[in-house]
Amino acid sequence: MSDMNTGMVEKYRNNFLKEVEANVEEGEWVKMCMQCGVCSGSCPLGPHWDHPPQELFMMIRAGKRDEVLESTSMWMCTSCYNCIVRCPRELPITHIMHGLAHYATRLGIEPKNQPTRKFSQLFWDNLAKNGRVNELKLGISLYFMNGFVEGIKTALGMAGIGMGMVKTKRMNPMEILGGHTVKDKKGFQAMIKKAQELEAARVDN
Amino acid sequence: MSDIVATNQTILVVGGGISGMTAALEAAEVGKQVILIEKRPFVGGRVSQLYKYFPKLCFPTCGLEINQRRMNANKNITVLTMSEVTDLQGEAGNYTATVKISPRYVNANCTACGACADAVEAEFENEFNYNMDKHKGAYLPYNMAQPQRYVIDPRMIGTDDAQKAKDACKFDAIDLDMQEETVELKAGAVVWATGWRPYDANKIQPYGYDRIDNVITSVEFERMMDPFGPTGGKLVRPSDGKEAKNVAFIQCAGSRDVNHLRHCSRICCMASLKQSTYVSEKFGDEADVSIYYIDIRAIDRFDDFYQRVQDDPNVKFIKSKVASIVENKENGNPVLNGVDTEGYNRYANEHDLVVLAIGMEPSVDKDTFPIELKVNDEGYIEQDEANGGVFAAGCSSDALDVNRAVQSATASALRAIQVVNRVAQAEG
Amino acid sequence: MADEMKIGAYICNGCGLGDRLDAGQLETTATRDGKAQICQQHDFLCSEAGVKMIQDDIDNEGVNRVVIAACSRRAKTDAFNFDNVSIHRANLREGVIWVRPDTDDMQETTQEMADDYIRMACAEAKYSKIPEKSGEQGINKNILIVGGGVAGMKAALEASKAGYPCTIVEKSGALGGATAQLYKKIPTKAPYTDPEDNGVDEMIAAVEADSNITVHLNSTTTKIAGAPGRFAADISAESGSTKTKDFGAIVQASGFTPYDANKLPEFAYGKNKDVVTQMELEALAKEANGGAIKRPSDGKEVSSVLFIQCAGQRSKKEGHLEHCSGYCCSASIKQAMYFKDQNPAIDTTVLYTDMRTPGAGGENFYRSGQQKGVIFTKGIASEVVDGASPTVKFKDLILDEDIDLEVDMVVLATGMVPNSGQPTRSELTDQENEDKESEKAGEEVEIRVDVESILNLDYRQGKDVPHMANGFADSHFICFPYETQRTGIYTAGPTRRPMDSYQAMEDAVGAAMRAISEAENAGLGRAAHPRVGDLSFPTFRKEGCTQCKRCTVECPFGAINEDEKGYPIYNESRCRRCGTCMGACPVRVISFENYSVDTVGQQIKAVDIPDEFDEKPRFLVLACENDAYPALDMAAQNRLEYSAFTRIVPVRCLGSTSLSWITDSLNSGFDGIILMGCPSGDNYQCHFVKGSLMAQERMSKVGDTLESLNLEKERVQTFEISITDIHRVPQIINEMAETIEQIGMSPFKF
Repeated sequence: MSDMNTGMVEKYRNNFLKEVEANVEEGEWVKMCMQCGVCSGSCPLGPHWDHPPQELFMMIRAGKRDEVLESTSMWMCTSCYNCIVRCPRELPITHIMHGLAHYATRLGIEPKNQPTRKFSQLFWDNLAKNGRVNELKLGISLYFMNGFVEGIKTALGMAGIGMGMVKTKRMNPMEILGGHTVKDKKGFQAMIKKAQELEAARVDN
Repeated sequence: MSDIVATNQTILVVGGGISGMTAALEAAEVGKQVILIEKRPFVGGRVSQLYKYFPKLCFPTCGLEINQRRMNANKNITVLTMSEVTDLQGEAGNYTATVKISPRYVNANCTACGACADAVEAEFENEFNYNMDKHKGAYLPYNMAQPQRYVIDPRMIGTDDAQKAKDACKFDAIDLDMQEETVELKAGAVVWATGWRPYDANKIQPYGYDRIDNVITSVEFERMMDPFGPTGGKLVRPSDGKEAKNVAFIQCAGSRDVNHLRHCSRICCMASLKQSTYVSEKFGDEADVSIYYIDIRAIDRFDDFYQRVQDDPNVKFIKSKVASIVENKENGNPVLNGVDTEGYNRYANEHDLVVLAIGMEPSVDKDTFPIELKVNDEGYIEQDEANGGVFAAGCSSDALDVNRAVQSATASALRAIQVVNRVAQAEG
Repeated sequence: MADEMKIGAYICNGCGLGDRLDAGQLETTATRDGKAQICQQHDFLCSEAGVKMIQDDIDNEGVNRVVIAACSRRAKTDAFNFDNVSIHRANLREGVIWVRPDTDDMQETTQEMADDYIRMACAEAKYSKIPEKSGEQGINKNILIVGGGVAGMKAALEASKAGYPCTIVEKSGALGGATAQLYKKIPTKAPYTDPEDNGVDEMIAAVEADSNITVHLNSTTTKIAGAPGRFAADISAESGSTKTKDFGAIVQASGFTPYDANKLPEFAYGKNKDVVTQMELEALAKEANGGAIKRPSDGKEVSSVLFIQCAGQRSKKEGHLEHCSGYCCSASIKQAMYFKDQNPAIDTTVLYTDMRTPGAGGENFYRSGQQKGVIFTKGIASEVVDGASPTVKFKDLILDEDIDLEVDMVVLATGMVPNSGQPTRSELTDQENEDKESEKAGEEVEIRVDVESILNLDYRQGKDVPHMANGFADSHFICFPYETQRTGIYTAGPTRRPMDSYQAMEDAVGAAMRAISEAENAGLGRAAHPRVGDLSFPTFRKEGCTQCKRCTVECPFGAINEDEKGYPIYNESRCRRCGTCMGACPVRVISFENYSVDTVGQQIKAVDIPDEFDEKPRFLVLACENDAYPALDMAAQNRLEYSAFTRIVPVRCLGSTSLSWITDSLNSGFDGIILMGCPSGDNYQCHFVKGSLMAQERMSKVGDTLESLNLEKERVQTFEISITDIHRVPQIINEMAETIEQIGMSPFKF
């Protein structure tokens, strides 16, 4: 949706912070950060972030739009909530991270090859069909996410676990043919569609 | 106790720390009758537990000596130690305070000769040294304690040692049957100077104060430096008694934090800077100090001191709130984890000793005042007409350093005097 | 009125004194050597019975000099507290038995120590008079307040409420000072989230409505003479008329002058009209009065503004202020809120290195600023580039980047320069002092500096209160913030220390309390801090005076003036009773009723000096009563031992040490002399400013005398002692004992 991206750039011209406040979940908290760094220090995946949360907040305030939105950093968040618990200003950091990731996706400028981003998309696509996760299909699409050869390798490697899961009735090989759905599938899909409409409307304001 | 004179022209000062003492002295020295109530067996409060003051690096007992001398010489002041105000009723010009006096088990005959302490063997945790060591069951709280009178620790009462103490006293100064007393005192105005206490570091879970020996608080570190303190003035680690040359200070431990104390405790930046000079003084070039901070609040004239410490090549400043502390089990070294926010550098730094610059909170919980007072969310007493003739002095009014606490106490004395002067005028 | 002297000596046998000492011998010493007319013993002298015994003698036997041979003068003061007599303590407990081992072979020297202390106490008693107040002034309840800003007004309102009439002298044409110029002020009460009304109008109305307060606008004090209790101030109006009024005490709340931002050309101040100071922004905000704030250059509404903190402050660069002014972080948050409250879309950035918002209210205000969208960036501005709009060049310390930011307006958070008037003589540079000395003696000495005096004190040592670091007229003490070096004059507000208007008002209430206290006590003849309540005061024997002026120059408090002939004029209520003048006087004509060259000198002479064959040296210790003597007491409390040959005499201040004491002790046969006083230097501890320093200077001259007498220099040593030097003081004495053992006894023994 690069049209949306262009639109946002135009609209918030040089005021990335305002853009984040308006469009990112819990974005209005970004200004409350006092750059203490506890979040950055507490994150268990910290070393894998290019820019830790505290730095991201400063970058937002400094107007570094592309660097922030195209960053892989917030995709590394595992929702452990360590940062929120320790933040002395009570910033809902986990939510902001997910919010940034989501916003970047909607603008179409998210880092395409980032593994958790890819997995998120797969998970969503899988879930949105039937309202239930089809674990077999999800597993398969995850293994093949990086290509066919990779996929075979990973699948073979995971064969033992897969068999174990089938034996203990955690996974049903029949799911390959369709899988469970929620009771009111049509209603579910209408709900998703409506939510997406509402969100788009909110943003376009 | 029945001979205490207290009328509507008396000023009651609750708290005998440096603020309470100052307010009491100012009022007494213009001729007002003052009663000073102090919970502990001695006056002087928390400053008597400091080794040095910032920024002059001078000694608290120097000023205390002058104030104690003035107090002893002034017949207008009655000091009640071991006492607490349990109830306070009334309004400006007409208060009645209920005061509970706990037994010291030592009466005015005591000459501080020390014979009782020599006779006794039992030891108890020493609150003066933040429970880092023990004192004898009959003890003088510290070298310059006033009143200069020994105390029998209530935990010793009923034991053989208590009797030994009594037998050793040649002046019949020990009264093991002393009972708790309650008195009612009238007053025209009340100066509330109950001071502060250090925030409970156990509550800061990621810092491991409750599990890691070599993580201590700033007030405990201060006691260590005193030659009469728990380590005889040696700067050593609790775990193994080794010298602590590589010391980390963590600022805002418990302060500026909505999870703990929302306010800034003001003194901790200067306190850590001061304590870094202790390390440098002890170990010279072998000192290795790191100060982990968010903002260094060395405010107004204190900034000179900050500049001086910045010039010390052995002191590093790292803008980072430490995320967590773990222990290196092999050597007992605390390891600090975090991110240096100036340029984003992750660290896992090992130190000999970690000092938490612990926050300051009012020593009286805001729901437990014996009279309804206008108090802000942090628990500090506001200046408000609704408080009538009760005036906060010192750290009960805000997180303050000693200079500002004395300033505040001097001002509160005038406010109290205004009230009793009005009473005097009304009563003719 | 010469009082008939009757000495009563009372010997206590409690606390082990009766076991360790021969009380009978002590009695003999007291009566035979000490000439005590009455001498009694008691097993528990501080008990009610013991005290009654003494009181009975006072009431019925006419005893008026009470010698108590027992514990230290610092102990049992509540018990040994008798009116209308002078009390002299022979310190036998902390001074003798607690510092000596209880062994048979030590018994003799221990007894000698005790006997000497009794002789010394009796000698002191003999040469002391009971001090009476001078009567130089009565109680004058009027308080003079110099400066009509919020601090001055607050001091007046609070003093008046306590029943003390005040006079405010304000230089400008209106009350309110700097605070009146503020559009709003930093919040002073919970929840501390929004700027408050500056409250000045209400305050001015309250002052004007108070019949106890007189206000002189457009006026200054052109001369203040006298002393606490009898200050005579000439209040001169711009129009020319002068009134002279009398006051008991003075509060100086002369405020501050904002730092001259023209000293910051790197920030384009003066060049670019849209670079303004915080005070200038207040004026713009007042003009806007809730509407949009406009740029001075072109009237355009400000849409982006950047605040540069610590502009010209916290810096050792030439022309900058070294100190931090304390309030400007909060002030910038407040001013950023002016913009945000009017229009949240305005970009506001605060560029700081440390955000200083302390206390309960501070952090709330910081959070509130952030809540409103103010951006805080840790960074250092190097330059502001002029242009149609100013561009700020700074280094972002978090992101480690150099950034150029163009904004509509730049606000410089510059600091406070105290209005503290002229420096005193001791603060002048060497050149200025040289210039002065070349002037004729006796002429009116003008201090040639281009700063106007605030108070115009008619004091020999200078027209204003001495400055501490960075030019602030502070007290230098942490525990005693108001005790300036000028008795009865209390500074408050930014004159004393950088602060915001709320703290200045609180400070003023404290200063008012001190002023009231001093007005009351000066009227009763009682001294101020630290010798509170002391009625004694210095007098001099005019016939012996050589007008050398040493006392007038060396007095740390400027208490002494000179008359036309050059004789000193002592202003008793300006005096802190330290005795520095007494120590300075080469002809020894100055004395206090209960503290004179004799009260110490005769103690020294009363000591029994064994002849050289006895191999018992004698060491004199002159110990300052504020730090050294308590340290000695506490060493004793901890049973630390020192030489049995030590004889300690407490002095009020080492600065009061008269050289005659040194020569007398050497002539008497003392082998070593130790002077113990409080630390001097930039962080001086001396309650009388420079006692140790002066003693050291005088002792350095003694070194030459010693050499000419063929005495080793090591015999006289001066040490700076802190009150906590409990382990060190016995060490010092013992080291002197070792030294004397090496160099041998004094040849002056008989």
